[in-house]
Amino acid sequence: MTVLHWIGNTIRDQLLLVPLWVARWLFIGLFLALMAWVVQLPSSQTTPPDRRCAWYEDLKIWAWLALMFQIVVYTVF
Amino acid sequence: MTHLTSTDYLVIISYLTATMAIGLWVGSYVRSGSDFFLAGRSLPWWAVGMSLVATDIGGTDLVGVGGDAFRYGMVMGNFEWIGCVPAMLVAAFVFIPHLWRCKVTTIPEYLERRFSVQLRASVAAVWLVAMACNLGVMLLASAQFMNDLAKWDMSLSIVGIAVLVGIYTWSGGLGAVVYTDVLQGVIMIGGCLMIVVVGISELGGVEPFIDKVHAAVHARRSQTPPTASEQTPLAKPQTAKEQAATAKQRESEHLSLVLPVDTKSPGPWPAILFGLALIVSPGYWIGNQCIVQRSLGAKSEYDAKASYVYGALLKGLIPFLIVIPGLIALVRFPELTQDNAKSALPLLVGKLLPEGFRGVFVAAFLAALMSSVDSYLNSATTIYVNDFYRRFYRPHADEGQMLLVGRWTTIGFVLWGVYFAFQLMPFEASVYSLFQTLMSFVVGPTLGVLMAGMLSSRTASEGALSGFIAGLCTSTGLFVLNLPAVCRWLDMPPLFRIDAPYLYYSIWAFLVTISVTVVFSYFARPDSADKARYSIWGWREEGGAA
Repeated sequence: MTVLHWIGNTIRDQLLLVPLWVARWLFIGLFLALMAWVVQLPSSQTTPPDRRCAWYEDLKIWAWLALMFQIVVYTVF
Repeated sequence: MTHLTSTDYLVIISYLTATMAIGLWVGSYVRSGSDFFLAGRSLPWWAVGMSLVATDIGGTDLVGVGGDAFRYGMVMGNFEWIGCVPAMLVAAFVFIPHLWRCKVTTIPEYLERRFSVQLRASVAAVWLVAMACNLGVMLLASAQFMNDLAKWDMSLSIVGIAVLVGIYTWSGGLGAVVYTDVLQGVIMIGGCLMIVVVGISELGGVEPFIDKVHAAVHARRSQTPPTASEQTPLAKPQTAKEQAATAKQRESEHLSLVLPVDTKSPGPWPAILFGLALIVSPGYWIGNQCIVQRSLGAKSEYDAKASYVYGALLKGLIPFLIVIPGLIALVRFPELTQDNAKSALPLLVGKLLPEGFRGVFVAAFLAALMSSVDSYLNSATTIYVNDFYRRFYRPHADEGQMLLVGRWTTIGFVLWGVYFAFQLMPFEASVYSLFQTLMSFVVGPTLGVLMAGMLSSRTASEGALSGFIAGLCTSTGLFVLNLPAVCRWLDMPPLFRIDAPYLYYSIWAFLVTISVTVVFSYFARPDSADKARYSIWGWREEGGAA
């Protein structure tokens, strides 16, 4: 056993204590945090510049859709 | 093994002809080095988005992920879901627009503007080696698949694919790569969808399919001895109830994305969350020249962003297309051993699909393969020509010279890819693991210096260079120390307990890179304001650094 094994085993033993349902919520939490971040992005960063744009040109909507799908997937599987 | 009929060959030849026609047609518009390397910054979001996905899903993924899904199950879907979507969306709104605004051609070029020429050369050299090696890995994957499927001669497959891809990449550069990727992406999605639909239908629908997967896993587990982690001295003795719970958990692992720490698959949850989602994936989507280059060729900043968002949407679909076939194979071929997992997909295609449809799937596989090989070919060329030839040898080379050198370099990399694929042939390693291990060496350190440079204007050049070198030593050092031969020689157990711990190499390499960069930057002389303003905050404060 080396110091690297000791570090690895210590971290591993701690992670083994985390229940799997908590881990799953960490996954889903990542997507939820991203959804919150996308919502607060200013429109200037998510739409074409210098002109009025149609609703479907706002990238926020599609980013949200992609994240929603991920939440469904990680809830089911 | 199956026979491809004349109808199958007709489909394959039609696909190859269409690909070559598109590639050569785009090539007829290429007049300069800028056209060759960045398609004259004229690419629309939909083409770049499809190209991002097509490039990411290579032949290694179809064969490798299909085979690994057969062995480990749905967990391989993580590589396309949490292993892509979060990073793509953050890249879309933060990092890609910044790189696009900086008007750079390569990631190493950005690193020189932000830090130093030493860091540019170091990163470029490492990526060049990784990309060149991956060319060989990808060509070998194609040859293995065609050999398993139809007993095509492996040597002939390697040379044939390399020549076809080489011709249109030589002619059209990035534009040809992106527009052929669009066709290849559509064919790849269609071909894989076909095998999923036919496969699940033949098994009686979704519910019976899931039941049969459970049954297949249960049958296989009852025939195999306990895993190494179950035998480890650290494992506590289990009661009968605990043993039953463990067996049930193992059984359901095949249909779960979140696996426990002691799983034998390459996807325990900490590796997926901390390694894949937070390090490897951002490193891949922000720091991989092969991926980022096409968004740098987008016609506007909005198109660059939209391409990544569109790609993230498409990514939601991909695991169903490349992971499910592995699970179908698990049900259909219970006699197939885990060691032969890479044959799962070719067997499935041979047994499941009728005449003509096999041709469509082979075309889909070739599309997946070619879309990745052409991208790595073009990006390796771009790095060599821009970061070495023009930077150190011919600083005043005009656009015509750049185009000429770019085309000759493309030929050189085609020859190298073929040579390296032949060298890899005797080895039996999983091609997907080989590819991921190679990438894990460089992704963590590259992401570390990119993050440090983009997100802080205080990071110093000396710090970033030291961090990159330390990170690289960490990833390769861990790989070497985990080799069975080295462990035996040093008389110690392996450092990692899972089969292919490439995600852990990246985590540690990234952490070491960031730590060393921060510590050295604290003590080093700060960079000039001219460098610091290439960070994202410096750019916003000054309204642009160009």
